[in-house]
Amino acid sequence: MISPVKIWRRQKKIKKVMNKIGKITSWTIVYVPPSDFKKYAPYPVVLVELENNQKMMGQLVDYEKNELKVGQLVRTVLRKTQETAVEDVIAYGLKFKPINQIDSGRAH
Amino acid sequence: MSSIIGYYSTQFGELWKKSLFDLVKESVEGVLKENYIEMKQIDAIFFGNMLSGVLENNLHSSAKLSEIFHTNVSIFRVEAACASGGMAFHLAKQYLDAYSNKTVLVIGAEKMTDYSPEETTDALAAAASEEEQNAGLTFPGLYALMAQAYCERYHYTEEHLAHIAFKNHYHGSLNEKAHFKNKITIEQILKSAYVAHPLKVLDCSPISDGAAALLVTNDSKKTKHKVEILSSEVATDVISLKNRKDLLGLKSVRIATQKAYLQARIKPDQVDVAELHDCFTIAEILAMEDLGFWKKGSGGKMAKELVTMHGKSKKLVVNTSGGLKAAGHPVGATGVKQIGEIFLQLTNQASTRQVKSAEIGLTHNVGGSGGTAVITILRG
Repeated sequence: MISPVKIWRRQKKIKKVMNKIGKITSWTIVYVPPSDFKKYAPYPVVLVELENNQKMMGQLVDYEKNELKVGQLVRTVLRKTQETAVEDVIAYGLKFKPINQIDSGRAH
Repeated sequence: MSSIIGYYSTQFGELWKKSLFDLVKESVEGVLKENYIEMKQIDAIFFGNMLSGVLENNLHSSAKLSEIFHTNVSIFRVEAACASGGMAFHLAKQYLDAYSNKTVLVIGAEKMTDYSPEETTDALAAAASEEEQNAGLTFPGLYALMAQAYCERYHYTEEHLAHIAFKNHYHGSLNEKAHFKNKITIEQILKSAYVAHPLKVLDCSPISDGAAALLVTNDSKKTKHKVEILSSEVATDVISLKNRKDLLGLKSVRIATQKAYLQARIKPDQVDVAELHDCFTIAEILAMEDLGFWKKGSGGKMAKELVTMHGKSKKLVVNTSGGLKAAGHPVGATGVKQIGEIFLQLTNQASTRQVKSAEIGLTHNVGGSGGTAVITILRG
């Protein structure tokens, strides 16, 4: 269950992992989602290893079909993560975005 | 030495006419009646159940069982996600190791079909890490990440995975208590809709209702059937998939397996029948490798050759009940049903799916995405 206090606690940690670069090590596309994620399905979820070897999980956004693959470079971004009721605090969290050719210079 | 002396399972499936405790009552009355034992001879009860707290706002089930069965003995409710049943059995064995001349009941039960698939999926996701839940990952999603990594590493396809479901549905067609008694073709599996790529509906175990009960004793009295418990071992591992060294197997399974073989003084090639936790097709392949039955990385090829299918196998037959895939997966009941199926096999009561002169059996029950593993080895 989601609660405003939980979202507040979670969001204090998020800034530490923003704008990090990593590589996809495994992926899936979820077609049957939990109820708070119904609006977004189907959506890809990727397992990522960051440059400092830290591993993270999250959804992949703003991607082309051929970018959903093992080895793809990605960057962490802040996005709305799940549906909440109209008067609830909006739940923001971590997602990943592919780094394209032009952008990928930053990875090195 | 503790032994299993009786087993009863309800039908598994979508049982809308029955509540959780209707199912529990049926399984317990069944096992007591068939073995001419009365409730007053039972010294303790171990009850495996995962979801009733989340789905039905129903906790403190020990007191509910006391009311149903008119008993005041110790009753323990055990929760370890999909390994709740196996864990209840493990604790029952520990209880018997500590006290002599006792007879206990092990019950596993789950009621899952009263709710929408999203609600049940939500409740099951409670067994995943917070980060996994926030990413919108489901259990099929977690196993899909393992399937993707495994197939990529060893160059297997969805067709290799499909053979597990094909085999287990064939076995399910021989089990009158199974949720699904229909055989399916490889083509049907490959054409079924995706749940979490690369896993499709027919790679996944269903959402089922059901209950199963075992009578376990260390009383030396003569009984009609007796199956010895050679070992029951538990191991745990980190809950987050991302914090595992790789996704090509489950460490908890490997640790529990090693302990179980050692304790039982058994080698993998001595096992005649096994019930494995095939919540998804990939899970049975990884389990066969982690249990030492197949060489690492050979699982896809071996699965396709159907080497563990009844009537085809020269030695080890796997998931004669139909596994979780076809027999159904009422999560708390599964671990108890697995041990029950081995009990039937080792006492020659498995009707058309009987494995000839089976002597050693093994069960593999997994909680979550591998955070808990329970391995049990039995001798007939």
